[in-house]
Amino acid sequence: MVLALLIILAVLVFRSADRQSPDTLPLITRPLAGFSAPFVFGRFKVPANNPLTEETVELGRRLFYDVRLSGNNQISCASCHIQRLGFSDGKTTAEGISGKPLAFNSMSLANLLWGAEHFFWDGRADSLEQQALMPIQNVDEMGQNLEALVLELQADDQYPRLFNAAYGRISTVNIAKALASFERTLVSANSKYDQYLRGEVVLSKQEELGRKLFVAHPDVKTSLRGGNCIDCHSQFLTSGFKPLYDGFSNNGLDGEKALSPGLQAVTKDPAHRGFFKVPSLRNIAVTAPYMHDGRFASLEAVLDHYNEGIQMSPTLSPLIMEANNMERGHATQINLNLAAQEKAAIIAFLQTLTDPQFLNEEKFSNPFLARQTRSKLTAPDSKIPDSTIPEFTTPGSIE
Amino acid sequence: MINISGQGKLFITAVSFLLLLSLMVTGCAPQKSSKTQSLNLTFKAVVGSQALVFNRTHYANPGGDGQFKVRDFQFILSNIKLRSDTGVYRQPDSYHIARFDNAGTSFTLVLDNIPVGNYRDIDFSIGVDPEANSSRRSVGDLDPNSRMAWSWDVGYKFILFEGGLNRHDVLSPLVYHVGFSENYRALRFPLSNITANNKNSEKPLTRLVFRVDLMRLFKGVNTIDMGALPSVKFDKDDAKLIADNFQGMITLCQRGAC
Repeated sequence: MVLALLIILAVLVFRSADRQSPDTLPLITRPLAGFSAPFVFGRFKVPANNPLTEETVELGRRLFYDVRLSGNNQISCASCHIQRLGFSDGKTTAEGISGKPLAFNSMSLANLLWGAEHFFWDGRADSLEQQALMPIQNVDEMGQNLEALVLELQADDQYPRLFNAAYGRISTVNIAKALASFERTLVSANSKYDQYLRGEVVLSKQEELGRKLFVAHPDVKTSLRGGNCIDCHSQFLTSGFKPLYDGFSNNGLDGEKALSPGLQAVTKDPAHRGFFKVPSLRNIAVTAPYMHDGRFASLEAVLDHYNEGIQMSPTLSPLIMEANNMERGHATQINLNLAAQEKAAIIAFLQTLTDPQFLNEEKFSNPFLARQTRSKLTAPDSKIPDSTIPEFTTPGSIE
Repeated sequence: MINISGQGKLFITAVSFLLLLSLMVTGCAPQKSSKTQSLNLTFKAVVGSQALVFNRTHYANPGGDGQFKVRDFQFILSNIKLRSDTGVYRQPDSYHIARFDNAGTSFTLVLDNIPVGNYRDIDFSIGVDPEANSSRRSVGDLDPNSRMAWSWDVGYKFILFEGGLNRHDVLSPLVYHVGFSENYRALRFPLSNITANNKNSEKPLTRLVFRVDLMRLFKGVNTIDMGALPSVKFDKDDAKLIADNFQGMITLCQRGAC
């Protein structure tokens, strides 16, 4: 028995040694140190074929800020995703290499590991990896040819080493993976709201009223007043919901005639007409203008829209249609009927979602401008447990 | 994730082998005596005698005028238990969001690695037990950031039904979000008829099919006029009306009939 085991052991040792041929030297990467998130964000999943490592994140950050990703070497991802603006750009709709105004407002970036697993306002990308290459190639956005980009990066004095360390070689797939890796580290979890959730601070009276309204669907029957936000924006993440296309909605911006396809362009389902991605509201106070087409300049305008500006269409969310803080009676006009001070309170609550640490975090900043002291990504001071709950279910027990 | 150089790999292989060996010696191998199987549970959604088709307005309002459409329907199915002659199998972290917006308008879940046994009944619940309903932790499909969550001080929606009612060509919204711990309903389905039919007793039960009838939300113990009660959210009496109905919305199909 022991002899047999020793033979098996020897075979295993021999095989593992044999597998190491000089052509396929294994990557020596370090798992990203100290990566964590509040447990109230829930589970997250990093693709098995693109683990978060120090090397992939460092490379991704560099690519994110590198203008060579565009055809004219003038525009980087960060041109439209500016850190101090919550990685949005302050413009109504984005502007790229061609100078033509694009169809959509630049989305803010935060907590991309959670919420809907479809990216862009119309959900046309199913992963961050897939998303990353689309603006690079779009002639009006970054207008870059991917093969040309690979050649350009190969000629650089840094990238061959960085790609080698992170993925083994320079390729379009690995460019996408690195960008996705960096984006996954953009965790915003130290706003006043987060501090409140951790029990470190109290909200002001106005902010607390706003929070209560945010998380309530109004119910006249039980005298519950609500801003109806939570029907689309989850309570802790403030993003749309994760499964399938639950994180997309028609929020009544346009009536039937003017209603654009939105998600329908992707799913071909007429029930999805006018659906757009429900964005995370993290850092919302610094990401104006608002909506997929940037039509609202201020949060006041957004609240006015939800309160009294809803346009009826066949795919309008029934939750929006139905929500009212007053008895509807026979009125057909959709109206949330919030008081002015309630709208102001919701805005005060939304301002607690601003995370100055995130907006100034050095490890998310432009590495080409960074200080000498920055050489590696450092771990956050406090580690919050419960961030990596396994995806699988363990077998049960019999009593 | 972490790749290790040749020598390290050798060492780790040796260590893990020894670890495995020690586990075997200390007798952590219960699989030998108890065989396991899997059991497939399929839930098929219908609306009364009609198929469920989302976003089509063609189901009669059971308590009044007009026809309704279903835009979204999901519910939480939890705490699955199987009782056999020898004991009770409880699925761990047993919280599932059942949804039917797929080609077969059905929801399937598989119980893996359950002990082979002569099961007498299957139990599960609609909703979330009070303990989990007051927690912010993600367990099973429960997620405080999901569509099935209200704010954390209220808990989960056990059933979510959203749609519209068409009366005289006027479409009005329907919103039935029913939760609250008192509306948690445990159900039991005897399997004796199915297992008695199973001539070959060596062959374990591998599949159970249930019918989920959405019409029963509004036509059961209580008949509901959707025009008079177009939404149910936080009013406790209204929520109970629907809960008393949803208690009877699931039936077990036997010999091809449900």
